[in-house]
Amino acid sequence: MSGTLAVVRYSLVELSRRRILIVFFAVGAAGIVLIATLLKVFTTALTGNVSFQSSGSSLDPATLDHALELGFVSDIISVLGLFALLIAFGIGMTVIYHDLESGAAISIFSKPVSRVAFTAGKVAAAIVAMIVIVGVLGIEARLVMVLFGTGDLGPALWWETVAQVANAITLMLLVMALSTWMNNIIAAVVAFIYNAVAGVVVALHAQALAGGLGNNAVLKTGLDVLYWVVPHALISDAPREIAKAEFALVAAASRGGPTADQFLSSVPSASGATDILWWAFGIAVFALLVYSAVRRRQV
Amino acid sequence: MTMQRIFGSPMAGVVSVDGLRKRYRRHDPWAVDGVTFALEPGQAFGLLGPNGAGKSTVVKIIAGLLRPDEGKVELFGSDPGDPASRKNLGFAPEDPDFPKFLRAAEVLDYFASLLGLDEAERRRRIPETLEFAGLDKERRQVRQYSKGMKQRLGIAQAILGRPKLLILDEPTADLDPLGRRDVRALIDQLKESGVAVLLNSHLLSEVELVCDTVAILAKGRVLKEGTMADVVPQGKNLEDVFVELVQANAPARDQLPSFITEKDKP
Repeated sequence: MSGTLAVVRYSLVELSRRRILIVFFAVGAAGIVLIATLLKVFTTALTGNVSFQSSGSSLDPATLDHALELGFVSDIISVLGLFALLIAFGIGMTVIYHDLESGAAISIFSKPVSRVAFTAGKVAAAIVAMIVIVGVLGIEARLVMVLFGTGDLGPALWWETVAQVANAITLMLLVMALSTWMNNIIAAVVAFIYNAVAGVVVALHAQALAGGLGNNAVLKTGLDVLYWVVPHALISDAPREIAKAEFALVAAASRGGPTADQFLSSVPSASGATDILWWAFGIAVFALLVYSAVRRRQV
Repeated sequence: MTMQRIFGSPMAGVVSVDGLRKRYRRHDPWAVDGVTFALEPGQAFGLLGPNGAGKSTVVKIIAGLLRPDEGKVELFGSDPGDPASRKNLGFAPEDPDFPKFLRAAEVLDYFASLLGLDEAERRRRIPETLEFAGLDKERRQVRQYSKGMKQRLGIAQAILGRPKLLILDEPTADLDPLGRRDVRALIDQLKESGVAVLLNSHLLSEVELVCDTVAILAKGRVLKEGTMADVVPQGKNLEDVFVELVQANAPARDQLPSFITEKDKP
């Protein structure tokens, strides 16, 4: 146990000094503030001077302001997700690869520490680092939202932050696992391709569920199988809450549009217990892959 | 700083290697082929051989870093793969490296934690060990170290746990003459305090100075093994014996490249 804690402690010290992570964090933090400021400037200018016409009805400045707030929250979520992914790559590529490749592993493994303790320490350090970095960005995003006002979407953002961290952890562990078998840059490229393919599968699955791909049973079954084979991303209430708020705006500004059910049908609902269990299973599998590679590694 | 204070009492039966064989891939030749020797407390054992003889493979197997394909290796009576058996082992690898964003004191604290040393013991041992290694005033991260500084840190981490077996794999390759003298003094002190030392080095004069027993390896096999007096006959030195043995077991390499021997044309 003390060996694992030592690995966790000094892996975190190392991660905190890695320039790539510091840069990603700084750019992410600055990006959130920049987007918020630009949006605020844009909102102030627009709501003061523009009367928006739609389908014969006009949006008053308060409604337009709310629409822009929704856009703001959506953008913040996107920025958070993007930087969570970048940080996942940054941690996954470096946290274990350099120890194994540089020869540091020779000094470490000659000490009375088991390889399972070393792996557990590395995985735990990576997860803690990810939670802390994305958590701090999430707190910053929430503070910015408090400063600029976001209606009642705050709690949804918290859950979205949790989902982003969870999804980033999956990708990070995949990069870690691959980097124990291959060069870390190639590992990142493979994980990037996997992530893109998984994203397409999830999007197509959502479309199939909404009936957007017709009634082809074979296609639906195939997508169902693919969806449950790849560890798919967890989703919070946020996208649906934003869609609901957008629908309320559309409904207020127009007559005869789609119903709420039609509008929300293509928006995936929050992940359920099965999705969360499947995510946990994926995490366990990737962690075991890391251990398997470390155990077999002859340094 | 006295070594007697740093190192504890010796144990019987430090290392036994019996019929050890190892190769890295199925169709590769054996890197180590039937090596047998034993190491007792207070003994300094020199493992010699040309490049690719299998010396580093042997010491890595003893340190639990590689698994043998055949034969038996015991470290303090246990399998070196068992982490507990490595509690009394200090290993300074060839070309040592460390987590590169840590400082020397942090590296030693990290490794002291892996050794299970408590806070008070860490506070006592780390400054003394850094001072011994000449790194006590060094504040830079390991990535900025020279090869010699890494080698000093490698030796420092190896002695940190007061080992009863110290394996030094080419310990002086990147050290300056002062550093080499310090390592020789360290080995002498360790022997006096009953610690077994396994020295793997190309510097035959150094081995001759500090080791009681030697084994000369080539192509993974032991060509000769015994006490220094057994291996080196009167009137010869270790280098003579080494060259004779190795050349007798390897193709002759007495031809210099033609561009070296040809004379400059006017």
